[in-house]
Amino acid sequence: MTDLAPPPVADPGDERVGGPAAEPVVPAAAPARPARPRVVPLALILTAFLSLPLVVSATYLNVVSRAAIYGIVAISLNVLVGYAGQVSLGHAAFLGLGAFSSGYALSEMGLPFPGALLTAVLVSMGIALVLGGVALRVTGLYLALVTIAFGLFAQETLFNIRSLTGGGAGQPAPRPDLFAGDVAYAYLCIAVLALVIAFDWRLTATKAGRAIQALRDDERVAASWGIDVTGYKLLAFVISGGIAGLGGALFASVEQIVAKDDFPFSLSLTFLLMTVVGGTGNRWGVVQGGLLFAALPTLLDQLHANVHVFPFTSITATWEPAIGAVLLLLTLMMFPGGMAQQQGALLRWLGGGPFAHDPEPSGPAQGGGMGARP
Amino acid sequence: MPVLETDGVSIRFGGVQALSNVSLRIDEGEIVGILGPNGAGKTTLFNCVSGFYQPTEGRIRLFDEDVTDQKPEARAQRGLGRTFQQVGLVRSFTVLENLIVAQHASVRSSSVSAVLGLGAARREERELRRRADRVLDFMGLGDVRDRPIAGLPYGTLKMVEVAAVLATDPSILMLDEPLAGASAEEGSAFCDRVEQMRRELGLTIILIEHHVPLVLRTSDYVYVLNFGSLLAEGPPEEIRGNQAVAEAYMGEGATALA
Repeated sequence: MTDLAPPPVADPGDERVGGPAAEPVVPAAAPARPARPRVVPLALILTAFLSLPLVVSATYLNVVSRAAIYGIVAISLNVLVGYAGQVSLGHAAFLGLGAFSSGYALSEMGLPFPGALLTAVLVSMGIALVLGGVALRVTGLYLALVTIAFGLFAQETLFNIRSLTGGGAGQPAPRPDLFAGDVAYAYLCIAVLALVIAFDWRLTATKAGRAIQALRDDERVAASWGIDVTGYKLLAFVISGGIAGLGGALFASVEQIVAKDDFPFSLSLTFLLMTVVGGTGNRWGVVQGGLLFAALPTLLDQLHANVHVFPFTSITATWEPAIGAVLLLLTLMMFPGGMAQQQGALLRWLGGGPFAHDPEPSGPAQGGGMGARP
Repeated sequence: MPVLETDGVSIRFGGVQALSNVSLRIDEGEIVGILGPNGAGKTTLFNCVSGFYQPTEGRIRLFDEDVTDQKPEARAQRGLGRTFQQVGLVRSFTVLENLIVAQHASVRSSSVSAVLGLGAARREERELRRRADRVLDFMGLGDVRDRPIAGLPYGTLKMVEVAAVLATDPSILMLDEPLAGASAEEGSAFCDRVEQMRRELGLTIILIEHHVPLVLRTSDYVYVLNFGSLLAEGPPEEIRGNQAVAEAYMGEGATALA
């Protein structure tokens, strides 16, 4: 098989100089200026976000850490739901696997913190590989059921193995000395979130990332282009599990103790909700969804305590599931692309484009693209 | 030398015998037309050859190798490219992005080095883009390069799909009704393009198309399917005068096709 021959006129080694004369290239309507991100507004937003651990009161520092971790989990679910088009209703289990692995590595094996993070990632990837191997034989509703079963099994059985998880007492997961303080630990979580976002951005520009997104749109087309559909679905599962495990390791050391009740089924549901509300397929959207849902109970409590107007007088943090459900319904009915779609114009403007909505919205996976946009 | 053979391929769906005992032999560099009325089993035959259906009986050989039990992606990696009746493209990508994913099997550098942005991986990414551009130029699609798939007219999508399959660097190209919805003029231009693909890219081409005169004009050899069986085969001039074929298309009493 030879390489595809170049068109008759163009020189093979050269950039296409002028195509065959018979086919005049229609010039683009506007000269394509390479889009430069608007640095100043982006820097302002970033600074505001990065100064959070310094400005919030000490009581809420762990909420900031947890928000960053939810952002990591959102990226993890986005790989599976947004890119591969598969569903997981058991993602809290991967968070738990990461958390208990890290706790075990820290307290029982005496590994340093980076070693514990690595252990958490590897264990979660390993379990994801096994679960994916089983679960990906089924699709849709059945896949959802299998992942629920896995989540319940992890919570009720796996996390009850006393020698591994400390049983009811929980597994201690001390912070590293350098990040022992709440402020420092919040920054560590934010730094890891940044790394995970960078990884996700690079992933979408690789062979594997592209293959995963192609099979989401149409498995038959992907296969006809030589893409190993089952293999790449499994890879998406493993990458997603690994990232969630990393989030879990960080999660373990927020309160510095892990208990099995930290990972109920409702948490898996919250994770899926925040991904959808954030905007499936869009990394900035899902991260914001994660931040929002992590902060939601605290926000509700704050509103309840400080705003003495109906409805805030009756709404407390216990209303969080209901609020989440309402947000989900509003998203599905009005903005299937989630927060990313609502902010479409803003995100476009920040990326260097005009402040305008997408003239041709392409549905829920909008902005998934191939990740030319960081 | 045959590059593709089907040997007595049959397939049943429940009570329906969709294909019975279909044997084809396609030589390197041939343009082969497959004709037949709606429901004759043309697309089913494509699905068996490309691996999406498992024939109940019969074998399929690709480059002298039995691929009957291989998955579609394995056959694609051996150089079998195909288009779909419903446009087979990644809808959330742009045209260029589609042509880049389509080159999947030829990417050598690992995804790990690509994630890290290592030099070799970056060079390869640039090469993928250049090849995509070359294919788009070949198909005369340069001006839709950066357009999203959603929003392009149907006829253009069919051509983008062909371009994407060309980007997979196939040896055999199976086209399933590439001209659905095209005008007579576009049809004629496409036939020239098919001829050009064989000449310049050295492809073997199998063409399903409803437009009988175009198929007869373009093909070296034609197979006619009816109710899942081979009704006739031969060079176009023989098929044109074949009474059984004419009857299958136009009803009893018809004597000549086209």
